[in-house]
Amino acid sequence: MSAKLSRRVVLAAPAVLWASRAFAQQTPFRFGSLMPTTGPEAGYGLDFVKTYEMAVKDINDKGGIAGKPLEMIVLDTQAKPELAINAANRLIDVDKVAVLMTAWSSVVKAVAPIANRTATLELNMGANSPDIAELGEYVYSVFPLAEVDVTALANYTKQKLGKSKAAVVYINNDTGIGGAKIYRDVFTKAGGQVVAFEAYDPKATDFTGVLLKARVGNPDVVHIHGLSELPQVIAQMRQLGMPQQVTSYSAGYNPKLLSQLGKAAEGLIVTSLAPTSSTNPNVSKLLDLWKQVGRAPNGLPYLQYAWDSTLVVADLFAWVDKNKLPITGANLKKALLEIRTFDLPMTGKLVIGDDHRVQKPVYLYVVKDGEFTLLETIA
Amino acid sequence: MTDPVILLQILWTGIAMSSYFVLFTVAFALTLKVEKLWNFAQAGLMGIAFYTLYWALNFGKWPVWAGVLASLVLTGAATFILEVWAIDVLRRRRSSSLIFFIFTLIFAQFMAFLLTMLFGTEPETIFPSVMSPVRIVGGVAVSDWDLQAVGLTTGLLLVLYLLIRFTRDGQFMLAVADNGKLAEIYGISAMRAYLLSGLISAVLIVAGIWLYGTRAGVTPDVPTNLILTAVIATLIGGLGRVFMAAMAAVGLALLQSFSILFIASKWQGLLLYAVLFFALLVFPRGIPVWRRRIKAPPPQKAEVAEAGA
Repeated sequence: MSAKLSRRVVLAAPAVLWASRAFAQQTPFRFGSLMPTTGPEAGYGLDFVKTYEMAVKDINDKGGIAGKPLEMIVLDTQAKPELAINAANRLIDVDKVAVLMTAWSSVVKAVAPIANRTATLELNMGANSPDIAELGEYVYSVFPLAEVDVTALANYTKQKLGKSKAAVVYINNDTGIGGAKIYRDVFTKAGGQVVAFEAYDPKATDFTGVLLKARVGNPDVVHIHGLSELPQVIAQMRQLGMPQQVTSYSAGYNPKLLSQLGKAAEGLIVTSLAPTSSTNPNVSKLLDLWKQVGRAPNGLPYLQYAWDSTLVVADLFAWVDKNKLPITGANLKKALLEIRTFDLPMTGKLVIGDDHRVQKPVYLYVVKDGEFTLLETIA
Repeated sequence: MTDPVILLQILWTGIAMSSYFVLFTVAFALTLKVEKLWNFAQAGLMGIAFYTLYWALNFGKWPVWAGVLASLVLTGAATFILEVWAIDVLRRRRSSSLIFFIFTLIFAQFMAFLLTMLFGTEPETIFPSVMSPVRIVGGVAVSDWDLQAVGLTTGLLLVLYLLIRFTRDGQFMLAVADNGKLAEIYGISAMRAYLLSGLISAVLIVAGIWLYGTRAGVTPDVPTNLILTAVIATLIGGLGRVFMAAMAAVGLALLQSFSILFIASKWQGLLLYAVLFFALLVFPRGIPVWRRRIKAPPPQKAEVAEAGA
């Protein structure tokens, strides 16, 4: 038996080798990815890229798209618009990609005119500035914009937690300004009062002034809409003797924040736009792959979107290929609107709206005993 | 916002936050005074100091004293190597000040790239936690970090003052700063003075980056921003006036802190450059300091007679 098996293996090996080589030699379906792989946001950006690579490998291991491999070209943006513009031009002009994945609001916005001008499909998979929905006909989001989770959070804070006075502290960039304005408007509309609305410089390390301005208003809750500096803002807030409830959005759902803040993180409420492994077993697969990397990933919910957006891109290529259309941004956009509903393993059902937005359930987490614990799911 | 407790809090936190700016400024101003060198390489030294501390305490799991010692040794060694095998070589070649400037700038960028390759670009802190115990004193929050920052900075500045004022090496440093060639004629080693000022700067840099890195995240390009603030404070303090530069650093930090009473917080960063712009135009030699004029004694009769003849 074992001899027969060995013979079969020996005979089959060249065929398998030939088939895999033929697969690899097929013209791949290429997509571009603009991510910060260096710079302060690289902690998230590199993990996005790693997850894309995992998803691409998974797709190719299963036979690719109609027998052709999927291939990703990543260029670094450092989350800076000026670098993103150069990188986008290179991907479109030199590498001839017809679809780009982007994240970080300022990057998505900077690339949008190029995408619209060159009829290249730009898929935002991680930025949440609300005006991304209005960037043009070739810019779509597969990630919910800030109005989804920030609206849910602001309403929850007012109605469920009974907080009536909020201070909003935010980073002075597209992400911060957009999210903070939504929080202010929703909280006010819900009957609350915003007693402070203060921005800080993206390069700041001292947040005392902003926090003292917030303290003067004697708020019940402080909403901080920041990025990687979020732990330092919370730390300085606590060190100024401000015991108020703190809320933030999905950028706060980060294990590093817990180690940097320790007990000071207790009670922090953050949002997440993706289910955990306890409610979606598919997430365990991603976590298992990350165990092989040897560390906990940064921003797991974002990575779930990174995985799923790769599947969306694969579906678009498959649709265009099936309809024997050339791979162009216009045809990929057509595919996006024709398919419209995607059933995705990590984040669930995704429906592309005519308004370039997507709706998703919002998961609120609270830090309890040093861990993020599910507080409420808002559908 | 005009509540005295709030004003006191801004004052106290502003002073505490100015500590590392003061240390970086004094390091920069001292090298400029003694060596006549705009030493942007100090940004690279800040990177070496921080990542040595970070590696020793987080990966090496060394005790704090050993990490600090390693940082002092490595930063000091880098200063020594730079001084002997780079800056002194340029000096002997009589290179122009532009070459010195470009060299130090390139060294800082080289270190930033090297550290990026070694440690990545994610913001890191010296300790995993950025929290520090706090006590309320008269309504003002005073953290352990604040006390450490103010104490360490004051102590180091006092030691530097005593060293310059009361030791032979300190006096020699001043002599070289005034006129290096004349000092050498009197038997003072200019090279020894350069090395001493460099090593003192290295100690100040390690102390400054310790304070910064225990409070905020550091990436390899952060030192470049820090050195810019030191340059601005040095220019405002007046070239060659080390302790005035330190005062300027405190003043700039307080100005930024108190500016929230008048302008939106997001403009705080811009304020620094606006002040520099104004100061360079109005006080190109730095903010003038009032000094008591010492009247010269009236000329003796004989001298008057000689002058008349």
